[in-house]
Amino acid sequence: MATSLSNMFLKGIAARSLSRPLNGLFYCTRYSTTVSNDSDTHDDFKPANKLENSGISLSNVIEQDVKDNPVMVYMKGVPDFPQCGFSSLAVRVLKHYDVPISARNILDDPDLKNAVKAFSNWPTFPQIFIKGEFIGGSDIVLNMHQTGELKEKLKDITSKQ
Amino acid sequence: MSSRGATAVLSRASRIRSKLQTALEATVLEVDDVSYQHAGHAAVKGSSDKETHFNLNIVSPKFEGQSLVKRHRLIYDLLADELQSGLHALSIVAKTPHETNPSK
Repeated sequence: MATSLSNMFLKGIAARSLSRPLNGLFYCTRYSTTVSNDSDTHDDFKPANKLENSGISLSNVIEQDVKDNPVMVYMKGVPDFPQCGFSSLAVRVLKHYDVPISARNILDDPDLKNAVKAFSNWPTFPQIFIKGEFIGGSDIVLNMHQTGELKEKLKDITSKQ
Repeated sequence: MSSRGATAVLSRASRIRSKLQTALEATVLEVDDVSYQHAGHAAVKGSSDKETHFNLNIVSPKFEGQSLVKRHRLIYDLLADELQSGLHALSIVAKTPHETNPSK
């Protein structure tokens, strides 16, 4: 049983630290299943403690996310099922362009939410990063779309990348 | 009368307006409470505070030479206390006087 539990949580941690999310839903589902279905979780196996002990830093996860994914969005919900009007707006704008959108759902992970806020020094969501640069929230992305700045910034990113 | 004044509590909208006007010396400052549009919003369910969403339209010379990100960050910094105590989201339009009258 101990071995089985340990493997379960290691998978959860591995999923959390994926450098390129396959898609938000995948990330979300795995993480939720690992944590929320096991009310008997012993403190020693809680992901937060495990993460801290293992030396994996959430700010490193974010740094890697932003570096590896040309368009990276930290949002409420996932691109196919946003749970906030602002996150929905940002995704709808980005979908005008033929670029791959990588995302993480910050509603599933309070620690990730706080780590992203600290990383960008920005208090609200969604937060959009393009080619490693913090762009801002949905207001700014919409504004850049309207002025043509966004097209310029995304022009060398293609869905085949 | 003075005791009534002493016990009055400013609404969040008033606090926001006051903080922004003091710091930005805005020529235009519109603070619209649109919380009703987000009633039932998943992320704010259970919040006893009703003033959660505001649209801001600000024209200030303080924004001169500042990128959009820096302007928004400035505003968020000024309202950090509100964001910590129940304010959920802001929609921000931040311009310089020149940007609202390009022909001048």
